[in-house]
Amino acid sequence: MNTYDIIIVGAGPGGSIAAKNAAEMGLKTVFFERGRKPGEKNSSGCGLGPRMWKDFEIMKELTPEKCPSMRAGAASRNYFVNKEDIVAGYIMARPTESVSYEPAKSWITMNVYRSEFDPWLAEFATDAGAELKTSTLIVDLIKENGKVCGVIDEKGEKYEASIVIGADGVISTVAMKSGLRTKWAQNQVTLVPQYDFQAPPEKIDDIMGDEALGVWWGATFPASYQVFFRDGFHQGLGNWMSWWDKNPLFYLNKVVNLKYYQRLLKILEAKPRELQAHLLPWLDYPYNTYTDGVILIGDAGGFPCPLEAEGIYPAMITGKISAQIAAEAIASGDVSKAVLHKFDEEWQKTSIGEEFEAGYELWNIWKALPFSPKETMSWFVPMIMEVLGGIFDWSQPHALRIRQIASHVKSYMPKATPFIMKYVIPLVAKTFEDDLDKLMDPKKIMTILPKLLELLPQKKRKRGGKEK
Amino acid sequence: MKIELENLTKRILGTGNFISVDRNKCNRCGRCLIICIMNLWRKKDDTIYIVDDYQSKCLECASCYQVCEAGAINFQYPVGGTGVVYEKG
Repeated sequence: MNTYDIIIVGAGPGGSIAAKNAAEMGLKTVFFERGRKPGEKNSSGCGLGPRMWKDFEIMKELTPEKCPSMRAGAASRNYFVNKEDIVAGYIMARPTESVSYEPAKSWITMNVYRSEFDPWLAEFATDAGAELKTSTLIVDLIKENGKVCGVIDEKGEKYEASIVIGADGVISTVAMKSGLRTKWAQNQVTLVPQYDFQAPPEKIDDIMGDEALGVWWGATFPASYQVFFRDGFHQGLGNWMSWWDKNPLFYLNKVVNLKYYQRLLKILEAKPRELQAHLLPWLDYPYNTYTDGVILIGDAGGFPCPLEAEGIYPAMITGKISAQIAAEAIASGDVSKAVLHKFDEEWQKTSIGEEFEAGYELWNIWKALPFSPKETMSWFVPMIMEVLGGIFDWSQPHALRIRQIASHVKSYMPKATPFIMKYVIPLVAKTFEDDLDKLMDPKKIMTILPKLLELLPQKKRKRGGKEK
Repeated sequence: MKIELENLTKRILGTGNFISVDRNKCNRCGRCLIICIMNLWRKKDDTIYIVDDYQSKCLECASCYQVCEAGAINFQYPVGGTGVVYEKG
């Protein structure tokens, strides 16, 4: 028997931060990785947010020498693709004036390949004294009187500890064997297929400039993300398990085969390099994250952001908190569920907790918009483009065009208004709480909105050409 | 543009069997046939099965396991240090 204070199953960002912090607090720590090295089983979750540089001092040590793929950029581009699979327009955006701190003012995301980032992070844990066991799959838990007190690997080797942290991702052995949950429901998990394309770094820099992220909003495919690294990029998309009516690659290939996209591949001199697929938990709120002697963090605990599924930062935050709570529980000699409840209290106080305060509304709007291409994006894209496309258009006198555009946008209202009522207003109301509850009362808006639309003038009085 | 999927993912041999079907539990809903990116599931007569050489093609995403509401598909990650290696993940 191998005895430790704390066992962490998984050496992704959550597991490594938990291991680092546990070891630094003097706990005898071991963490397990089923790959030959951390990160080689992970795909995507490749965007590091600026919050990480604020909350984790070690991030300042991430350099291209340690992580050659790293590429940060200030710009993101939203492509709008219509029912005919034509890129009807796009919006490029940079950090706005209201963004309040560095590095968020300078870039929106730092993109890294996990095969480089995860080992880099794990080294902080091993440097702090945690023991890393690679090529080791944990298949079961040891229980005594029904309470978890260790883990068993595939070779039957046993490891004992006061606390086991489940950092083992979406199909979490720790979660399921501890009885915290069975597998996720179909609407709690997304399937994400993804291509990696290689492209010369200078081509990426010349053509994309400081764009770090593209999102392809489609009327015939779920929103597809494009993430740029130093010498390549990912193109992937996802949706809940129950959504797919065809092989998921059918939809991803639709993006890749857009004429616009093919042109982009050509000028970037890009070639497919790797095919990846993974499941990603996407919950409106994490639940059942702890029990006697067990805490779940990161994907295993269902912590990815409920809006766009950022996973690394929530994993690191919950990893850090889990180590703190575990250390306190071990010191007190009580690792029961009643004590580990503090884990939930603590993460709820962080920015992750704040994110999940509007979790249901965020989850819901994502489901209704990018994850419902045929139902929503099919009118959303032409509606947005009606407005944007009208900015430069001399097909008619401009005032007439404005009236035509307004009238056309009005034709989308039977679809747009229920959508706004059902998904947008609850989110706005939740975000601003009581202040807007009164102002945004759906009944009030419904009485005003049609009248406002009616007020749009149909004809314009003639001005020039005074009679002599 | 047709992307050739063969050889787009690196693998280390020796995974052993890590996916199996319990024919008694399977209700033949066919979700696994649709969801599998590598198209590794087959239906013949009234039986659903995974192709013999799945170990050399599977992406280990566990979608088949996750999508199976009948609980008929057993999935356990491959032996430590084997299976899919994502170098650019």
